[in-house]
Amino acid sequence: MNRPLPPRFVARTTIATLVMVALVLTAVFVSVAINVRERVRSSVTDKLDAGQRMLFALEQRRAREMAVQVAMLAENPTLKAALDTYQSERDPAGAALRREMLATIERELDKLADRIDPDVVAVTDQAGRVLAAAGRRAVEWPLNNVVRPTVDDEGNAYVAMTSGVFQFASAPVALQENWIGTLQVAKALDARYAQELSSLSGAATLVISNQSVSAATIDPAIAEAISKQLRLGPPAGLTLTANRVEYAVKLLFQRGDAAVYAVDSIGASTRVPMQQALRAVLFIAVGSFICAAIGSVWIARTVSRPIHKLSAALSEMTSSRNFDHPVPLTGVTRELDQLTDAFNSMMRSVVRAEAETESAYVGAIRALALALDARDPYTAGHSERVSALSVAVGRQMRLPDDQLEVLRLGALLHDIGKIGISDAVLRKPGPLTQEEFEMIQEHPAVGGRILRSVSFLAPHLPIVELHHERPDGQGYPFRLRADEIPILARIVHVADAFDAITSARAYRPARGSADALRELWKHAGTQFDAEAVHALAAAMPSIELTEHGRLADDAGQTASRLALVGGGERT
Amino acid sequence: MATVAMTAAAIAAGWVGVTASVPRTGRIEGTVRLVAPDENPIVSGAYPTRRVNKLAARSSEIRNVIVFLRDVAPSTRSARSGSGVPTLAPSRIEMVQQDEAFVPRVLAIPRGSTVDFPNADPFFHNVFSLSRSATFDLGRFPRGDRRSRTFTQAGLVKVYCHLHSHMTASIMVFDHPHFTMPAANGTFVLDDVPTGEHRLSAWHERIGESAKPIVVEPGRTIRVEFSLPVEGSE
Repeated sequence: MNRPLPPRFVARTTIATLVMVALVLTAVFVSVAINVRERVRSSVTDKLDAGQRMLFALEQRRAREMAVQVAMLAENPTLKAALDTYQSERDPAGAALRREMLATIERELDKLADRIDPDVVAVTDQAGRVLAAAGRRAVEWPLNNVVRPTVDDEGNAYVAMTSGVFQFASAPVALQENWIGTLQVAKALDARYAQELSSLSGAATLVISNQSVSAATIDPAIAEAISKQLRLGPPAGLTLTANRVEYAVKLLFQRGDAAVYAVDSIGASTRVPMQQALRAVLFIAVGSFICAAIGSVWIARTVSRPIHKLSAALSEMTSSRNFDHPVPLTGVTRELDQLTDAFNSMMRSVVRAEAETESAYVGAIRALALALDARDPYTAGHSERVSALSVAVGRQMRLPDDQLEVLRLGALLHDIGKIGISDAVLRKPGPLTQEEFEMIQEHPAVGGRILRSVSFLAPHLPIVELHHERPDGQGYPFRLRADEIPILARIVHVADAFDAITSARAYRPARGSADALRELWKHAGTQFDAEAVHALAAAMPSIELTEHGRLADDAGQTASRLALVGGGERT
Repeated sequence: MATVAMTAAAIAAGWVGVTASVPRTGRIEGTVRLVAPDENPIVSGAYPTRRVNKLAARSSEIRNVIVFLRDVAPSTRSARSGSGVPTLAPSRIEMVQQDEAFVPRVLAIPRGSTVDFPNADPFFHNVFSLSRSATFDLGRFPRGDRRSRTFTQAGLVKVYCHLHSHMTASIMVFDHPHFTMPAANGTFVLDDVPTGEHRLSAWHERIGESAKPIVVEPGRTIRVEFSLPVEGSE
C-alpha cells in the first residue's frame, strides 16, 4: 500500500501565496466596493440636493417671470374691454352682447394660449368663477366653476382640480385701479411637467398626488413601490429601497396633496464605477497572481534546488557508499548550509564509528585467524604471511588500493574455514586419507558460511571461498576455470601455495624461495594462475619475510608484528 | 330704429301730457353714501401690478355715482312746453384724456349729446367702445387733437383706449332728464320728477347699483338715502 506522495514544495508555496493574494484582493475589492457604493450614494444624494436647490431657484425664478408675463398678458386692451363690457352689461336685453363679449374673451385667450403654450389660460371674475378658458387642458376648468387657489408660504399658488394639481401664476385684469377679473396661467403637475423637471434636474421625477402616483419618468412599477415606501413615512436618511434596488429620493416641493420628488437609482449609478473598480481590481489581481506565482516558484526553487542538490549528493553518497567526501555546501541559504554541515559532521562521526566497528571486527577476525594458525606450530604466522605476500603480488599487478585492502583482509582470513577441522586431521604428521582430505577440502565452504553472516566482509568472501580453485578447473569446491575465478582468489591461491612450500611441515622440511618459485612456475597455467605467479616472481626481491624464522612465536606476538609490518607498508 | 324709438317716446309724452293734471311733478332729495372698501380684494395670489404712470388725481368716488330714475318714459326732444315734462337738452361735453385716464371718468348725458375727447397727453390716445348702445372706434390721435361722438341711444357706454389698456370711462346716456350726479358730500336733488311710482337708482360703475321704489306726489319733496353697495348684497 503506497502512501500518497506529499505535495511538492513549489505547490505548497504557490498555493499559500495565491490564497494570501486572493484573500488580500477580496478584502481590497470588498472595501473598494463599499467605498464606491458610499461615494456613489453621497454623490447621488448630493446631486439630488444640488438639483433640488437649483430647481427651487429655477422654479422661483420661473414663477416670477411667469407672473410678470401674466401681468403683461393681462394688459391686453381687447381682453379688458370685452371683460369690462361683459360685466357692465346687466340688462337682460344685452344677453347677445354678453355672449359676444365672452366669445371675444375666449378668442383673446386662444391667442394667448398659442403664444405661451400653457396647460390652461383662463379668466376668472372677482369671485373666482371661470369665465373663459383655453389651452391644452382647458376642459378641466369648466366654465363657472370656482377656482379656489391655495397660496403657500413661499407664494406658490396651486389648486387641486379633480384631474390633478395645477400650479399657476395669475395677474389681475385691472382698469383704472379697479380689478375686473383675474388672468390665470396654470401648469398641471402631470407627466409632461415631470418630463420637463427630469430633463432639468438630470434625475427621474416622481409626482405623487393624493398618495398615488400621478406622473413619473421611471418605470411605473418602481414608481408605485417608491410611492408605497413614501406612504409609510419619509425615507430614513436620504435613500430607500424599492424592489430590492436602492434609490435616493428627494422632495423637490409640495403643493398641497401633490408632492414632487426627484429620484435616482443608486444601483444604476453604482454600476459603472463598480465595473471600473472591478476591472481595476481584476487587472491588479491578474498581475499579483502572476507576480505571486513567479515569486513563490522562485522562492520554492531557491529552497528546493539546494535540497535537491543535497539529497542527490546524499543518495549518490549512499549508493556509492563513499562517505569520505563531505556533501558540498550550497551557499544559497544559511539554514541549508547549517543542515549540510550538521549532516557532514554526523556522517563524519558515523564513518568514524563505522571504521571503529570495522576495525573491531577485523581485529576479532584476525585474532580468530591467528588463533587458528596457532593450533599448529607449522602453520603459525601462515595467514599473515599469505596476506603480506598477496598484497605484494596485488601491488605488483597494480591493483587499486581498495582491492589491495580487500586482498589484505581476505588473505588473512582465507583459512578461517579450518576452524571446523579437527586437530587430528589438521595436525596429522603423515599423509591424509581420502576421507581426511575431503574434510580438508571443505574448509573454503565453511569459511564462506562463516563470513556470510558479516555484511561488511562480503567483498572478502570470494577469496575465502575460492582460494583453492585452479585455472584448469581441478580446484575445489566449485571447480571453476581460469576467468571464472576472481583475481583476488587466484592471487591468494598462489601466495598460499608459496608459503606452504617455503614452510616446514611435520613430514618435510621447508624449501627455499627459489625452489618454491620453480615449483610454482612448473604448475603455472594449470594449478596456479600464471599472471599471479609471474607477479610473485617479480615482487620477490622486495619481499622480506621477516617473520620466517619465528615460527614458534605465539599468535598474539606475531599478530602485533604483522600489524606493524602492515602499517609500515601502508605508509 | 332711433326714429321709431323717438316716435314712441313722443307718443308716450303726449299721452302723459294729455292725461296729467296740475301739479304733475314732485321733488326728490337725498344722499348717497359709499361704504365699499376702497381696495379690491386680491384674488388668486395675483402678482400685484406696479404703477408705472403718474396717476390722474383721484377724484372722490362719490363723483362717479349717478342717481337716476328707472322705468321712465323717454322724453322727446320737442316736448311741449308747459306740459310739465322737462325736455331733453342735448349738450356738448368734454371727456379729456389726461395722464392716461379719462377725466371725468363717469359722464351722465341726455341722448343726442356729443362728447368731445381731447387728447391732453403728449402721446397718442384712442377711444373705442364695444357697448350695445354705441360701438365705435375713433382711431388714434395725437396731443391737441380731439375726436367727438354723438350718442343717440340710451344706455351705458364703456369707453376704452386701445393704447392704454387700463384707461376706462363710463358714459351713461339717458333718454329722459331725470338723472343727476351727487355733490362731493353725496347730496343730490332731482326736480320735476313726474308723479307716481318709480324706481330710483344710485349707480357706480364698479361698486354696483342700488334701486329703490319711490312714490312721487305732486308738489311734494321726498327723501331717499342710498348706501352703496347695498349692504348684505353681493
